[in-house]
Amino acid sequence: MPKLSADERLQRLLALIPWVAERDGPPVADVCARFGCTQDELVADLELLFLCGLHPYTPDMLIDVDIADGRVWIRYAEYFARPLRLTPAEGLALLASGRTVLAASGGDDDGPLGRGLDKLATAMGVDAGQAVEIELGPVADDLLRTLRAAAAESRQVEIDYYSFGRDERASRVIDPYAVFSAGGQWYVSGWCHRVDDERLFRVDRIATATPLESTFKPPGTAPELAAYRPDADDPRVTIDLEPPARWVVEQYPTEKVEELGDGRLRVTLVASQPAWLERLLLRLGPHATVVGGDGGRVAGAARRLLARYQG
Amino acid sequence: MHRLERLINLVAALLHAERPLTADELRYRLPGYAEDHGTFRRAFERDKEALRDLGIPVVLEPVDDAAQPGVMGYRIRKEAYYLQDPGLAPDELAALHLAASAVRLDGADGVAALWKLGGEVAEQGPSGLGMAALPGTDHLPAVFAAISARRRIDFSYRGRARHWDPWRLSFRNGHWYLAGYDHDAGEERMFRLDRIESDVVATGDDGAFERPAHIGVQPPPWQMGGEEALTARLLVDAGQAGWAATHIGPDAVEEWRPDGSVVLAVRVTNRDAFRSFVLGFLDHAEVLGPPALRAEMVGWLEDLCRS
Repeated sequence: MPKLSADERLQRLLALIPWVAERDGPPVADVCARFGCTQDELVADLELLFLCGLHPYTPDMLIDVDIADGRVWIRYAEYFARPLRLTPAEGLALLASGRTVLAASGGDDDGPLGRGLDKLATAMGVDAGQAVEIELGPVADDLLRTLRAAAAESRQVEIDYYSFGRDERASRVIDPYAVFSAGGQWYVSGWCHRVDDERLFRVDRIATATPLESTFKPPGTAPELAAYRPDADDPRVTIDLEPPARWVVEQYPTEKVEELGDGRLRVTLVASQPAWLERLLLRLGPHATVVGGDGGRVAGAARRLLARYQG
Repeated sequence: MHRLERLINLVAALLHAERPLTADELRYRLPGYAEDHGTFRRAFERDKEALRDLGIPVVLEPVDDAAQPGVMGYRIRKEAYYLQDPGLAPDELAALHLAASAVRLDGADGVAALWKLGGEVAEQGPSGLGMAALPGTDHLPAVFAAISARRRIDFSYRGRARHWDPWRLSFRNGHWYLAGYDHDAGEERMFRLDRIESDVVATGDDGAFERPAHIGVQPPPWQMGGEEALTARLLVDAGQAGWAATHIGPDAVEEWRPDGSVVLAVRVTNRDAFRSFVLGFLDHAEVLGPPALRAEMVGWLEDLCRS
């Protein structure tokens, strides 16, 4: 555990003092476990604490700290009778993570988490469900359950997957490492035996997932919860955008943005996947002109779509 | 003297004080501050800042002493400092702890909050729950504070000053949205938090408005427009049919065809947004009707063929 600053130690002490003071000598080990510190760190903090108190710092005005037989007592610190209230950021972090887990697990509002969130929200003057709402992307619950169970048991899964970037469907056997939500989408990361490499799959593009008998050895390191990592070798495309198409820079990561005047923009984007670029250009229509990179695709894509309507 | 010791004594003194304490009184009473005025002032300013960063409400108020008219002093009001005990049962605290460790909200830390609620409960839950990462934005804490205090907020959005009653934060499609009452527009609105262009400033009193019992849900883009409503019939091929039905909602399903494709009836009030949505399917979807909407799609594609 990294060494805490004086501010962080203060934060922990202000929470720990009322908890200990309220009890009759809780075990030191218990205090350490609850407040995430080692015994040495706790003793170091308490050795400072018993020098503290109120003016004029005579013995009767100091906080009383006793450590004996593996237990700890704190007395005469009435002004620290209650912990510091939650900051808005802390309250939000707890509510948001709780609502996220409820959303991710099918939402049992009557379970311990739901009840805890309600109490917490009430103490903050809000209604838990009303004040913070979390949606992690529409995926079928049973699909998530299957993938999670497979990841937990290190069991291989066969998935029927639609690759959005290449516009192609295929069956793949994967070793699911982790199931997680990032940026409002569910992903499963793992080893793909079809390409013999690590891949990230969007759960909403998995049509079916079938657990197999075979198991795998999970990777040693915790998976990174990042959804998109641009590659230096990925092709780039440069597009001039008319004013109605300016939303592109809010929606996608850009490498370069240049104002052309009259509300027009020249942007450079990473376009690693051809189908992604086709979709973007089809949507932008007359509001975009490709000035650098692979621009010939859009007419071909438009003809392919048109064939459906004229067939 | 250790800085931690000085900080504890400072919090104790300010919390215990029945009236605001002047800077001179604090220097005299607290061990560990320098005699020299300039050195004391710098150390005191830094300590005060550290306390405020932790969320400790140090306030500056008139001392209100006939002998010292106009003199200001510092204190921490107990009612503003003390946590209102939410009375969590052990299993509830354990569940909250598990949730806080499974979800990461950028720029926020749930651990310090859990300390205040009684510390971490070493109980192992199901680890297969999956983890989630939520992006943060600069304005989240300020907006949430205003929601919970029911205070009005002022900010700038798309180049204009706005005045809102903030009601609810929603995370969807990877972004944070705020729903509330827009005083300038005179109606309920919703927008993306990361598009706020200024600080969010809470104004006026607490409890300035009542939250409505029902807050509207953000409609999909193709229903965010003022055009005359029409019902589009959309055919989606088998490969994408399941995704489309989940995404638009099972109520929209008009027909599942034997080949696995689906026909969806979609209410549309923004045709541009609907066209964008349909184009996302590439050649795996087709607008069946009404004829005018189908013709618009054909025209759009024909223009692109010529580009």
